[in-house]
Amino acid sequence: MGLLNKNPYTWMGLGLLTAGTLVSPVAYFILDLTWLSALGICMLILSLILLTLGRTIPKLPPEACGLLLETGVDNMAALIEELGIRAKATYLPSSLTNGRPQAFIPLHSNTALPSITTALPQRLIVRYGSGPDDVGLLLSTIGSNAVSLLESKPGPSSIELESALTSLFSGILGVADRTVVACNENHIKVEIHNPHLENGTGWSHHCFGGPLASVVAAVAAEAWDRPVTIEQEEQNGSKYFVELEVKE
Amino acid sequence: MRIYNRYILIVTLVLLLSTLVLIAMGQTSLSTYYIVYILEALVITELYIHFNAKARRGLSSIGAILFGGFLFVICVELVHMLA
Repeated sequence: MGLLNKNPYTWMGLGLLTAGTLVSPVAYFILDLTWLSALGICMLILSLILLTLGRTIPKLPPEACGLLLETGVDNMAALIEELGIRAKATYLPSSLTNGRPQAFIPLHSNTALPSITTALPQRLIVRYGSGPDDVGLLLSTIGSNAVSLLESKPGPSSIELESALTSLFSGILGVADRTVVACNENHIKVEIHNPHLENGTGWSHHCFGGPLASVVAAVAAEAWDRPVTIEQEEQNGSKYFVELEVKE
Repeated sequence: MRIYNRYILIVTLVLLLSTLVLIAMGQTSLSTYYIVYILEALVITELYIHFNAKARRGLSSIGAILFGGFLFVICVELVHMLA
């Protein structure tokens, strides 16, 4: 019964398995055609691959995932807009948040953000300095959750970061083809090829960056183990460019 | 899942192309076809390092089964040569 509920990969695999099982012996023993038997073997190999991949497809449909994502983003946008926050988020590594990487936004944008050296408490509203205005919001973003999908924490070199981002975007999330990373002192430039995840344009987008930039910033913060901000992000043809600044 | 589609497309094209080449070369041994297919499938799978962990594990199992078949064919060929 489980097989009847499967995705196109499994159906295609079952089709090729049936065709290959019939074609190979008939072609080899009855028709005496080696090339046709070989094509039957081709079908069997492909059917094994398709059946294996069919078992690894996430059970939740992309439409349902999109719905959950939009709901979360809308709620966050409403909160940010209601509080009148205009400052840009700083993505903190897990070592500074007592958990997973999160985005931090100071409530008062007129105060310069001091360097955060000790871990912040796991709360929505946190105090990060000694001044009366040194209060900010510590929020989980798409990037916070995406980092947990990585098998291991990436290293700070551009090759390690590029491998982690490509693995995440292409192999796990399936939202882009590949990434190219260039690190230059405290600046990281990331090029995302063929992204197919829509970016919002609202207030929360201004504060947190788009979903792709948010993931890139969270992974970079974790890789460098330092706070990171999104300096710039733009779509140019089939590429999406994200520029980050690594803070002290 | 674009990466899955690309992988399947590449494996299919390479297997079909190698079949055409072997046919054009007049190859009549089924073992040769099988060995070429296995080697190609294993190499392409190794090149796709960005698959998620579950897919990699699954494909490694398939690779092990196909490699077992490859060793079996080699053994049969050796026995034929020695006999």
